[in-house]
Amino acid sequence: MQKTGFLMRFITVLGFVFLYAPILSLVIYSFNESRLVTVWGGFSTKWYGELLKDPQILSAAWISLKIAFTSASIALVLGTLTALVLVRFGRFRLRELLNGMITAPLVMPEVITGLSLLLLFVVMESWLGWPSQRGFTTIVIAHTTFCMAFVAVIVESRLSDMDESIEEAAGDLGARPVRVFFDITLPTIAPALVSAWLLAFTLSLDDLVIASFVSGPGSSTLPMVVFSKVRLGVSPDVNALATIMIGAIGLGVVIATTLLLRQEKKAE
Amino acid sequence: MTSKPSPAQDNPWQSDNVKPFIRIRNVTKKFGPVAAVDDVSLDIYKGELFCLLGGSGSGKSTLLRMLAGFEEPTAGSIEIDGQDMAHVPAYERPTNMMFQSYALFPHMSVERNVAYGLHRDNVAKGEIRQRVADMLELVQLSGYGRRKPNQLSGGQRQRVALARALIKRPKLLLLDEPLGALDKKLREETQFELVTIQETLGVTFIVVTHDQEEAMTLSTRIGVMNNGKIEQVGEPREIYEFPGNRFVADFIGSVNMFEGIVTETEADFVRIRSKDADCDIYVSHGVGCAPNQKLWYALRPEKMEISRERPDQKENFFEGIVEDIAYMGNQSAYRIRLKSGMVVRLTRTNRDRGEETPITWEETVFVSWGPSAGVVLIA
Repeated sequence: MQKTGFLMRFITVLGFVFLYAPILSLVIYSFNESRLVTVWGGFSTKWYGELLKDPQILSAAWISLKIAFTSASIALVLGTLTALVLVRFGRFRLRELLNGMITAPLVMPEVITGLSLLLLFVVMESWLGWPSQRGFTTIVIAHTTFCMAFVAVIVESRLSDMDESIEEAAGDLGARPVRVFFDITLPTIAPALVSAWLLAFTLSLDDLVIASFVSGPGSSTLPMVVFSKVRLGVSPDVNALATIMIGAIGLGVVIATTLLLRQEKKAE
Repeated sequence: MTSKPSPAQDNPWQSDNVKPFIRIRNVTKKFGPVAAVDDVSLDIYKGELFCLLGGSGSGKSTLLRMLAGFEEPTAGSIEIDGQDMAHVPAYERPTNMMFQSYALFPHMSVERNVAYGLHRDNVAKGEIRQRVADMLELVQLSGYGRRKPNQLSGGQRQRVALARALIKRPKLLLLDEPLGALDKKLREETQFELVTIQETLGVTFIVVTHDQEEAMTLSTRIGVMNNGKIEQVGEPREIYEFPGNRFVADFIGSVNMFEGIVTETEADFVRIRSKDADCDIYVSHGVGCAPNQKLWYALRPEKMEISRERPDQKENFFEGIVEDIAYMGNQSAYRIRLKSGMVVRLTRTNRDRGEETPITWEETVFVSWGPSAGVVLIA
């Protein structure tokens, strides 16, 4: 018994080290005084300062945040509608197909998603004249496409857990379907919507591959800038930037999971 | 068939010139190839407390949901107060429903739950406040208005659900297993409260339940459902004492069923030869049947006598061995094995406190009954 306990703890620690040691070392080195990435030169926050003076990184960060906010919001609306159709509108033709297809973007290799979207945009440009240039809009469309799948999956599972009779009860008391949605359904699934939005926001923020395919001049996102900087050699300010991103994303994920967990507990 | 008690009461269902409040005509509801409700026709009158009684899957809830407007009948028509309900959505029907799970809105206080229906009808604020307060008083929940549903006990939630369903003064209240989630003691108290409220407000109630005791206590009439069809409609006493077929006899209360062959049939009596009972059964009224017809004789456990002495009659008794006795305080239940192998259940009220030599296990006894104790069933 004692031995298994030790083994279990050992494996757990090993797992954690394997997962988080690289990230931890990155965080530590972001506070490194030295210009050389692998040599510790004492504690300093000067690379964070450098970062704030770099206009390229700042503008990329701003673009990334705008894209993430916009695409997460559009994905939230579309994904929620999809989930509603799947869960609440009974059996209709092609329902099973839609149900299967909605999860496809989750497993599709990003390279393929990116490439296919790029081709689509190019064809659309030559046929319809829109989008006339690849950039902010095309990235938002691309991100919305795959974020919507995540939103739909989260909201769908929440909706099917929800007691449908409270919606019927509202209808029975004289509320029309739209009224029922805003009075009853929306408040009930609100926590799931918040966490779905946060997840979509995070996914959009750290996407590199799809964005690289569909971006255009002057619309490089933060991950793209980081990637191109690293190709010229790892500089300590990239470490600082990565640390900030880890912090932001970590916070988003923690809030999202806490909300979901709390709601599950409530449901019990 | 059997002579029914027909006291000169002014019950609307016994009168020809009262128009039914709810008319269900040949209603069928299919889910895929399965008919959950199969060609049901039923009239319910104003002020009734009508129970739809049946096991799970009998179609009773589906019928209720069609009245509420949550399901559309596949065929047939439903009329409430003279108005055809086809294509009338739930939010426009003059009905309200109390759900089995209560379906309280978890994010709203008790007051807002109860007031919800009035807000949807754009009732003036002052009137809403007054009516909610009155309603909470009626269900004895004054002072609980600010609480959330998860801060209430099961019985309190049940009463909030009732208040919310009654606040719009519906013409018809539908109740889906209203007492199902309560424990036994609370359920008995609430049964009487429910009847009192129904009588005070004069609303027509339709209650769905699987609990026959509940149906017996609550209702003016019972409709027994099985496999999507209504087997019998009648007053509780009628359903118990004069079941129309074997299913109803067996479903309501407990019963001993003897299969038999008609040996003699006259206008005022019938004689049946039963292999199960190993005796002749004499029934003191006429039955529409032919000689040699196969039929069933249903005998309730409390309608028989048990004794050690051979009774002084030619028919309506048999001999058996006491296989089991259960003492239940107010009464004792006996299981008696006949020569045919059939086991008969019999109950006897414990009138005496100290019987000197009570009937005991493995004893040979005689069981007898009167000529009008049982019911002859053709189907």
